Amino acid sequence: MNIIALIKQVPDTAQLSPIVDGLQLMQNGQPRIVNPWDEYTLETAIQLKESHGGKVTVLCVGKPESVEALKTGLAMGADEAILISDDTLEGGDSLATARVLVKAIEKIGACDIVVGGRASIDDNHAATAVQVAALMDVPPISYVAELTVEPDAGHLKAVRLLETGRETVTTTLPAVVTVVKEINEPRYPTFIGIRKAANAEILMWTLVDLGLEAEEVGVSGSKLIRTGLEVPQAREATLELIEGAPGDAARTLAERLIEEQVI
Amino acid sequence: MLSPLEKILFITLTLTSLLWTFVTFRRMVRVIQRGSGSLRWDGLVGRAIEGAGALVTQGWMIRRRPLVSILHAFVAWGFIFYFLVNLTDLAEGFIPGFRVDYDTPAWNIYRLLTDLLTVAALAGVIFLLGRRFLVRPNALQYNDNVLLRPGALTGLSRDSLIVGLFILGHVGSRFIGASVAITAEGADPWQPMAGMVSFSWATLSGYQLEIARHVCWWLALGLILAFLPYFPYSKHAHLFLGPLNWMTRPNRRSMGALDVVDFEDETIEQFGVARLTDLSRTQILDGFACIACNRCQDVCPAYGTGKELSPSAMEVNKRQYLKENLRGLAAGEEDAAELMDYAISESAIWGCLSCGACAEVCPVSNEPMFDILDIRRERVLMNGSFPDELRNAYTGMERNGNPWQMSEDRLAWTHALDFAVPTVEQNPDYDLLYWVGCAGAYDPAAQRVARANATLMHKAGINFAVLGNAESCTGDVARRSGNEHLFYEMAKGNIETLNAAGADQKRIMTGCPHCAHTLGKEYVDFGGHYEVIHHTEMIAEMQEQGSLEPARAVSSVTFHDPCYLGRHRGSYDAPRASLEESGANIAEMARRKQDSFCCGGGGAQVWKEEEPGSEAVSNVRFREAASTGAETLAVGCPFCSRMLGDANARAGEEMQVKDVAEIVLESVEATTNEHE
Repeated sequence: MNIIALIKQVPDTAQLSPIVDGLQLMQNGQPRIVNPWDEYTLETAIQLKESHGGKVTVLCVGKPESVEALKTGLAMGADEAILISDDTLEGGDSLATARVLVKAIEKIGACDIVVGGRASIDDNHAATAVQVAALMDVPPISYVAELTVEPDAGHLKAVRLLETGRETVTTTLPAVVTVVKEINEPRYPTFIGIRKAANAEILMWTLVDLGLEAEEVGVSGSKLIRTGLEVPQAREATLELIEGAPGDAARTLAERLIEEQVI
Repeated sequence: MLSPLEKILFITLTLTSLLWTFVTFRRMVRVIQRGSGSLRWDGLVGRAIEGAGALVTQGWMIRRRPLVSILHAFVAWGFIFYFLVNLTDLAEGFIPGFRVDYDTPAWNIYRLLTDLLTVAALAGVIFLLGRRFLVRPNALQYNDNVLLRPGALTGLSRDSLIVGLFILGHVGSRFIGASVAITAEGADPWQPMAGMVSFSWATLSGYQLEIARHVCWWLALGLILAFLPYFPYSKHAHLFLGPLNWMTRPNRRSMGALDVVDFEDETIEQFGVARLTDLSRTQILDGFACIACNRCQDVCPAYGTGKELSPSAMEVNKRQYLKENLRGLAAGEEDAAELMDYAISESAIWGCLSCGACAEVCPVSNEPMFDILDIRRERVLMNGSFPDELRNAYTGMERNGNPWQMSEDRLAWTHALDFAVPTVEQNPDYDLLYWVGCAGAYDPAAQRVARANATLMHKAGINFAVLGNAESCTGDVARRSGNEHLFYEMAKGNIETLNAAGADQKRIMTGCPHCAHTLGKEYVDFGGHYEVIHHTEMIAEMQEQGSLEPARAVSSVTFHDPCYLGRHRGSYDAPRASLEESGANIAEMARRKQDSFCCGGGGAQVWKEEEPGSEAVSNVRFREAASTGAETLAVGCPFCSRMLGDANARAGEEMQVKDVAEIVLESVEATTNEHE
């Protein structure tokens, strides 16, 4: 089975603190990390390979330093990693990124399933993978919490975790799925894996390699134009410590919550 | 004494026995050689003399189980002396005309010693057999939840019985032979014990007595020949392997400093220990040397609180496996089974507190803790398998430089002080680098200790500086939990930071014994050479120099020795001196200093849920502290503070849990206020 995992490198939001706000984090927040949702992407892809055999290719669009994220994928057990990096890609929206990814998937050739995370924690659009499916003209199955793939029969069954409940769907392969954290527990890379990843060659593709024109990507290829980015005003908060025995404190807490119309 | 026919028979049996013994010993040696590293042979003469001293005095055993230890010493002394006795008996049998002279004082003393030690050894062995097979104390049993290799227990019992009966038979027949000789040749004032028995043979004729002497001689020495080939298989081999293990033990910088893993060598395929043959040579020897006295189990905080871990059971299981597979392993066959299949369970692996109590107490110098930490390495480095909770700590160390995953300012603790705490950039000419540690930076209780430390140094006029946000976790938690690669990365980063700050030319004071141990005793292997002291040692030094006001306040305090300050660092007096200088009356706990009992936080336990058992380690230790009647439980480690503080909260705040630094500061401030 040919499995393609889409990942992204993002700023580490755990670095947010009173001295580092979101804007500073986006600009200077080193070291960057694998998008936390994509750790589940990688685990899903590797588990599929472990169950059905085949190959996992990790695909990432980003700056050159994104090789670190790809190395994490290789250390966890992916077979091949490809970074698509090009200055002209700067400022692209999810559709422009999806266009690049689809070209890359076409260039890779065989593909039975594409796995992505539910969203990236920086832009949080949750759109790229779905747009990849649209451009590939294959079914998009998002928010997957349980996944059963039958490559020989050519279909998959997935349980989607929605706000309204759990929805079970089946569809044909190839397909694009995006996963939520309920799907698995991402593995911790072994040292053997880390060493293998450190020595592995990571393929670097540019626009030319993909046969894309500059107008199709980046800002010029985007429908969504970012006009501004600012840190939201911090909300005023007051801290009230409730003293007393646990029973009394709980009663006071319940009363206060009712009073504030929280419950 | 012997007839020519007897001599021929004895020599033939001796050669057969020795050959057979040699074959078994050679197998043992070959199995041990399958281990990594090498036994330590340098300076052997000095250690041999030291070892002989310890052997003769049985010095290291008397510390625990006094009655058993003394009776064991009777057997040991008897056996040591019997080397001479057996040689003399052999000479009497073989050399015509050679007799123990009844008139020279030296031989008189020899006979007296033989007589007394014979009876002492017999009494000892009868006591030990009775204890193991009739009394069956808990100390010799294992909890039901401890993994035991099938056959290990029966093997152990059978072995103990064989060894016990052998000693009884060997020493007993020698004793009867001596009494028969007295009956035949007349009373001997230098053999009072044998003399008492000699009347039993008064009715025998001279011929019958001669036959009896021959039978006793053959039993006494023949039993040795019969037992010798079994000797290497038996736990009786500790007689030889115990001292050998003791003399060839690794030369560690501290009792818990772990071995280095070479991550740069790309040819290495196995990291950590999965199989017995992955162990180091000294660790394989541990399995042979173990006598299953279970002293390690007695002092193990995990076993004592009902966890699946028994260091002794692990060694017993190793030994049983070795016994079953000796021939194959010696021949170089594949070692198929993993230690976790038969020697130690997964929960036991993760239950170890790396407190070092097992290694400290072992009479034959075994170090079960190292096996466990090496298996953890294999779990993490080869399988990525470890308790889930540790993942957060690892991620925190990788990304935030601390296991709390905190990204706040590491200097936040200084904000409440009325003086500035300079960083190394602000005060490059510092004398002492204060390594605050992650706890001091982020944990509210430890922040109070950090402020107390800084205030005491400020008052004493110490020229110190901190690294501030350049500081990061030493990696101790990663190392103790098997994530050696993460530790390696942390160590490299910190050594670079410390050397850039010139700390290799100055002294470093840490606010945590784990940091002190890692920086001072373990970074050396990675190129970091630092003079490191713990804050309690610094406080004692400041008091000694008179830089801190002597105290007036009197309080009653009990001190809990942190494992990594005490056993691993050997610092027992400084914290006590500091407390006494600050006016505290110390009410000691029964388990203190090298016998201290872990708080429950060591070995990365503070970062995970305690393994299933009957009780929390911290509760046990806290009760012990509370039973001293002291008002305050003094600690010197942020982990101890956290674990024992939580236990105190569960017990309804019976005591105050405070760091030595806080207690000293309170006392100094009380004195200052009095002056004003």
